[in-house]
Amino acid sequence: MTALKYLSPEWATEAAKRLREQLTPEMMKNLTSSMITLYHHCPDGKERALYYKIENGVFTDISVREAPMPQAEFVISGDYDTFAKISRAEIGSRSALMNGKLRLTGNMVKALSLASIVDRFNKILSEIPCEY
Amino acid sequence: MTNDPYFIDFPARIQAIQHEMKKDGVNVYLGSRLRTLSWTTDAFFPWRSYIVIPPDGLPTAFTFVIDAARAADDSWLDSDHVLGFAPMGGQDQITAVSDLIKSYLPESGGVVGVEAGMSNYLPEGNLTHYEYEAFEAALAGHKLVNALDIVDRLAMIKDEGTINRFRKAGRMADAGHQAVYAAIIDGGFKKYTETQIAGIAALGMRDAGSVWEWSFTGGNEIASGYRTGYMGGACTPPTERHLQPGEPLMVDLHSTFRLGLGDHTHNYLLAPATERQKWHAKNFVDLVSLCLQTYAPGISPSSLADKMMVFCEERGFAEFMVPGFEHGIGMLGDEWRIGRNDGPFPYWTNPDHVYQEGEMLICALQYACPEENIGFRYENAILITKDGCETMSKYPLAVEVIE
Repeated sequence: MTALKYLSPEWATEAAKRLREQLTPEMMKNLTSSMITLYHHCPDGKERALYYKIENGVFTDISVREAPMPQAEFVISGDYDTFAKISRAEIGSRSALMNGKLRLTGNMVKALSLASIVDRFNKILSEIPCEY
Repeated sequence: MTNDPYFIDFPARIQAIQHEMKKDGVNVYLGSRLRTLSWTTDAFFPWRSYIVIPPDGLPTAFTFVIDAARAADDSWLDSDHVLGFAPMGGQDQITAVSDLIKSYLPESGGVVGVEAGMSNYLPEGNLTHYEYEAFEAALAGHKLVNALDIVDRLAMIKDEGTINRFRKAGRMADAGHQAVYAAIIDGGFKKYTETQIAGIAALGMRDAGSVWEWSFTGGNEIASGYRTGYMGGACTPPTERHLQPGEPLMVDLHSTFRLGLGDHTHNYLLAPATERQKWHAKNFVDLVSLCLQTYAPGISPSSLADKMMVFCEERGFAEFMVPGFEHGIGMLGDEWRIGRNDGPFPYWTNPDHVYQEGEMLICALQYACPEENIGFRYENAILITKDGCETMSKYPLAVEVIE
């Protein structure tokens, strides 16, 4: 597979395909929630977000967004470079959160219970060949 | 309506705070004291915690994330209103709390009421200097004011549910005393240390349903022999000292029921007791009895102390008395000052505070004669009633000689 441009529409389509194929509702604990990863300082200077909507463990929306951003239960924000490093497995997402490079908004207790799920789909996303 | 005798209308408490906030020009109240957390949430918050009370609607409590789910389960607030903080981007306590506060403040600048001051009670929970500066920076453009008097004045007169929780906790302390008595009679005391007596009492109270020996002063405070007679000493965490014949024994128990607090001290003379020891004991019992007869609406800490010290003088034992006869009490975390912060020494009890019907306090007396290695303590939570006071512990007042 040729490398896709990170956060491009083609990348988002591939991400949705892989997540839906590889994560069953059971693996997603039949979760209903929504999450945005908000990328500051993208290479073109813009701000973008990856929006996930999950209903009963099924991804019903995975899309790259620009302003205005939709509302979501959880927002993880940080610099594009930080997310890129996480995708390239150069740093861990937990480490980025603990060091303040990423910022989480939302109920921390619920976020704890979802951490393993987020790890699962981050791992799948990290396997998409892409260029930054 | 509810049939639960321990029911407290917490939403009404929040509305009362919000009413006072409006009167005082406060947009958001940021509570950080343990007593405020207890009084507003009905849950125990042992970690650093905060409660954000908006102008209208439900408050949100914040605590260390490892305990947030448990606290939410215990509280009347749901899990969306008891949140956790952690050392993560956006989730540290300053960011998480100030982000929520900002959502309630007018953009043109608002007023945030905080809890600041000092206390001789370590777990009080006023904002630290660092926290104050950090919140001030995070809430730039808004003003922080000290607003703790709002909660203090609202919490002063106790409601029926609170009083009933204290009554129940008082009975639990009595169960602890009964367990101790059963263990020490007939020479049983010779087998035990102070720490073991504390444990026997704890088991007795736990059997009765108490959830915690709540006192920060060492749980159940047990003293024997010379340790009962520390000059001015009203704090005796137990030691491994063995109980011995011919010595006094002080048993100060602390029980907890739904954040209501039991606090009662009973005293013994471990046989053989001398006539001099019995003289001290009679002085003490008579003074406690007079004190309990005197508590009523209209009196003040200073007027009561004056009256008691006259009695002590007349009986010739004034030199053995600490001239203070009370400390404050309320739901867990409210253990020190009587009434409001309106006395001559900031954050201490106002000696001229006039008691009103519905207030609660700990009737507390400390008798100490270090030269003779003897002392006694009395503590009992009391409710100021229409024409006197009601004791929460019903354990009979006496200094018993244990054979």
